[in-house]
Amino acid sequence: MVRAGVLRPAAVPGRVVLVMAGGTTSTMFRPRTVGEAVEMLAAAHDSGAAVALLGGGTDLVPALRSGERCAEAVVALRRVLELRVRGAGADSLTIGAGVTYTDLAGWSLSPGLARAARVVGSVQIRNTGTVGGALGSARPAGDLLTFLTAADAEVLTASPRGPDRMSLPRFLADGLAPDALVTAVQLARPGGPQVYLKIGERQAAYPAVVSCAVLVDRVRHRLTCAIGGVGVLPARMGQAERYARDEVDWSTGTVSPPAARRFGDLVVEEAARVAPALPEGPRGSVEYRWHAAGVLAGRAFARCLHHLTGPPAGDTARGPAAGGQR
Amino acid sequence: MTAVSADGLDAAADGPGGGEARTDSGESYRLNVDGFLRSVNAARIEDSLLTVLRDVLGVTAVKDACEQGRCGACSVLLDGRLAASCTVLAADADGSRVVTVAGLGGAGLTRAIRAMFLAEGAVQCGFCTPGFVVAVTDLLTRHPDADEGEIREALSGNICRCTGYGRILAAVRAVQAERGIIPPADAHAPGNAQDRPDGE
Repeated sequence: MVRAGVLRPAAVPGRVVLVMAGGTTSTMFRPRTVGEAVEMLAAAHDSGAAVALLGGGTDLVPALRSGERCAEAVVALRRVLELRVRGAGADSLTIGAGVTYTDLAGWSLSPGLARAARVVGSVQIRNTGTVGGALGSARPAGDLLTFLTAADAEVLTASPRGPDRMSLPRFLADGLAPDALVTAVQLARPGGPQVYLKIGERQAAYPAVVSCAVLVDRVRHRLTCAIGGVGVLPARMGQAERYARDEVDWSTGTVSPPAARRFGDLVVEEAARVAPALPEGPRGSVEYRWHAAGVLAGRAFARCLHHLTGPPAGDTARGPAAGGQR
Repeated sequence: MTAVSADGLDAAADGPGGGEARTDSGESYRLNVDGFLRSVNAARIEDSLLTVLRDVLGVTAVKDACEQGRCGACSVLLDGRLAASCTVLAADADGSRVVTVAGLGGAGLTRAIRAMFLAEGAVQCGFCTPGFVVAVTDLLTRHPDADEGEIREALSGNICRCTGYGRILAAVRAVQAERGIIPPADAHAPGNAQDRPDGE
């Protein structure tokens, strides 16, 4: 057990780098296992330093540079191989917090999630950004958060009190205890088509302004829809989901063509009621984002449920990353 | 200013002499940059790999532009994977292999890419070029026969504000043609400005 006061590099060979500059000493902890990570996180907090957990760094490192965040100690999780595992059970998929978007992009067990991962950022971002980082940063329109919100994902954590799990909404609302870290997310295996769409200032490397995930479960006769970028956190569109449940012909998994427009209209209404709303800002007026949410939702809905009869005219998926806005 | 590292974890890369021995040398950690082990001191924990490469080690082959992971000017290969060095924490790169455009060398694939960037006019001010050459090297190593859409997608994390992407795409196609991956006629297909009906 590593404790503050007795923490010496020699005591934990290879796991600690002391960075000294300008008369101050900062500690970089580099655990190899989840157990070590929990111990080092506790030790870092005990030392009284401002601690940052480092996943891929795509959000944290620029935030440190700009001064938006500060850190006197960093627990870097890149070398924790346990966190880089993804697996499938009979009903569920488990994705380690250290799994990158590039790892996810080729995952055949979850084609919808793979397509969502493929439209995140650029090659550079996908190679480094991680699932755990997406949860830790919790950007309002974060690509993965919107998908995971629609997927009813659960967040698995580890702390000195042992492993724990909580729903994604609870995780996003309450955050993590300071001595805990995310180890994985768990979601149901796909039961039908899943589409993720986004609108951004630029296709690549820029965060989404508005994002939408529609997941169809043909076994449980259920459709879920989440919108990112209208609220402070991604929000589920319950009213539109209930409309879909009643409207879809579950024997074929299809709907009548006008249903997509109605679905989109319901999402616009619901997006306007999301609280707390994301304030108006450089990311576009709130009306624009409500409208965009409806357009994306109608389009995603049609792509999920018109698949047997072909997509509607003028709305064909294009390019290698057809799951995204191209 | 003194510093300590005990990075026995990466002993293979660092060789002997880690741990307490470094205290005397004033070194915080080491970076393997383009095949050379470089001592880093006087760097802060929050410094990105980009900052340390340029401002501490004087490696100007990486360019500093957006510092938000959006422009690709600072692209490097980190343990063989394309990464924006402004989103990597330098102290966490201790023990990893960092390769900049300078370390890709003047032979083989990178030589061909450099030559075709010049031949096809894919360079104007040149600020984005090191990042592009690293990204194209990564792409053609992983996916030598990438088609036009795949090339555009793979390079979408690199921004050019003056030459335009048509010439860069043409350079990549020319490399593929030179290496016999695509027929020479295809090298001057859609990406070539003269051949495009919209003149773009």
